[in-house]
Amino acid sequence: MLRASRVVSASKRGFATVVDAASGFKVAAVDNGQPSSSVTVLLKAGSRYQPKPGVAHALSNFTFKSTGKRSALGTIREAELYGGVLSSSLSREHLALTAEFLRGDEAYFVDVLASFLASPKFSRHELSEYVLPAVHSESAAATQSAPTHALELAHALAFRNGLGYSLYADSHATGNITAEDIRDLHAHAVSNPSSVAVLGTGISTESLAKLFETAVSAHKASAKTPVVPSATPVPATAYHGGAARVSSAHGPQTIFVGFGSTASASVPTLHALAAHLNPEPALKWAASSAPVASGIPAGIHARSVLLPYSDATLVGVVLEGSDGAALREGAKAVVGAFKDAAGGKVGKEELARAVARAKFQLAAGVEAREGYVGAFGPKVLKGETASVQGTLEGIQAVSGTGLSQVAGDLVKSKPTYVAIGDLHALPYADEIGLSA
Amino acid sequence: MLFGPLGPSLAPYVRSSRTLSKWFKPISSWYANLSGYRRLGLVYDDLLVEERPDVQRALTRLTPREAYDRAYRFKRASQASVLHKDLPKSEWVNPEEDVRYLKPHVLEVVKEDQERHVWDTINVVRK
Repeated sequence: MLRASRVVSASKRGFATVVDAASGFKVAAVDNGQPSSSVTVLLKAGSRYQPKPGVAHALSNFTFKSTGKRSALGTIREAELYGGVLSSSLSREHLALTAEFLRGDEAYFVDVLASFLASPKFSRHELSEYVLPAVHSESAAATQSAPTHALELAHALAFRNGLGYSLYADSHATGNITAEDIRDLHAHAVSNPSSVAVLGTGISTESLAKLFETAVSAHKASAKTPVVPSATPVPATAYHGGAARVSSAHGPQTIFVGFGSTASASVPTLHALAAHLNPEPALKWAASSAPVASGIPAGIHARSVLLPYSDATLVGVVLEGSDGAALREGAKAVVGAFKDAAGGKVGKEELARAVARAKFQLAAGVEAREGYVGAFGPKVLKGETASVQGTLEGIQAVSGTGLSQVAGDLVKSKPTYVAIGDLHALPYADEIGLSA
Repeated sequence: MLFGPLGPSLAPYVRSSRTLSKWFKPISSWYANLSGYRRLGLVYDDLLVEERPDVQRALTRLTPREAYDRAYRFKRASQASVLHKDLPKSEWVNPEEDVRYLKPHVLEVVKEDQERHVWDTINVVRK
């Protein structure tokens, strides 16, 4: 019996095929035989597309509130009775609504997601009573967390508009947000079927597409079609760069050193570069053998970040620590490592190690639900096969000269530098070897 | 709130019948004018008993403009009451201006409270 079930699960397809539902939404799902299922609806309603500051953040907190079919309380209580978890997460490009539940409950949870797409109410009192308090506390938490704040500032410096908009609505922004703004952002995202993707795990693509189709058409019939305002064009992303130093007395001091790129061809190489620059050891408490790690003093926690978007990528290293002088040494070592990579000083073994590490991080990230949505969502929206195989092969093909060329292009551009903490001790950008 | 403005009422039934509303409309208009709140510059929903959690919650849902106007009407009416005088006739509220600005919000809150009660006391049966 056990053997039979293993054979069945092994014979299932390990990748997701994209199917266009009749309403035009892209649907993709993968069933690895896991005991629970999840469905994620991905909307192009990230902070990049918001007409006013903070609207996307408010929309992400408005998910699972009252719709034409059930109230906010009803959604929560019914989901609790089914034992499922509803969540929403916002990135700079996408808003993801996720329902995780036991197998067999998919009809109810797909209906909840579809009702948010087709008939949300966006009532004024829910905005002031439930949404804005949550928005305020999330933004306050984000400002208190120095690494998050540093990455927010880094995006603003690197991309200015579009991708540079903050994910969080600060208290100045929320005063201007009305329920109509939120409704408009939602209507924009939903009215264009090519900007909605439905991703499932633990459910077959065909049954998910069918369930979603019936649920959406049922809600559409009952709700009146909203007037879609004319869309503000989203400009193509350009990389600018810059430096910012922010005083903060809370938490560890933080430095971000990074560069941006708008060349999509170099993304696999940037994966390898980020893995090469990552000073985190593979084993806890061990010393990493990465060349950067030797230059980073003890007590400084450093990790590399790679943030790929549809038309730009931000790559860099975040350093955290309590000692400003040690942070300065660590940041110097990071800048040195960037320059060494640009100068072609990456050894053959180091390159092989970086390539293996980048491939593993990408492949292992897809196993988790968040990583699955983050990696496959943009591909499904484009209608491509949901698979990281292409990127993995791209990373495998990275050569030493290719790496040094991409790193050289990065280093030639203006760096993005953010320092948060005690400004008496933290260095300026030119003091750690960054140009301009 | 058995006898308050939110209590049981025959008004919807009267309104649904053309004959009944033809009979009762003049009487009700006469009675509303006689009760005198319009002479103090108030509208009917200003008389709702507000010392209740649901009406308090409904009051927070007014638009800023409605909340401001309500406060203004109360101040004007208190002053008129202190002077033991009605407002000048130009400031009386016309029957057309006497709209139920608060009642829909109160009904919505009552509906939410009822729904919460239903969910709090629900008996779940496993199929």
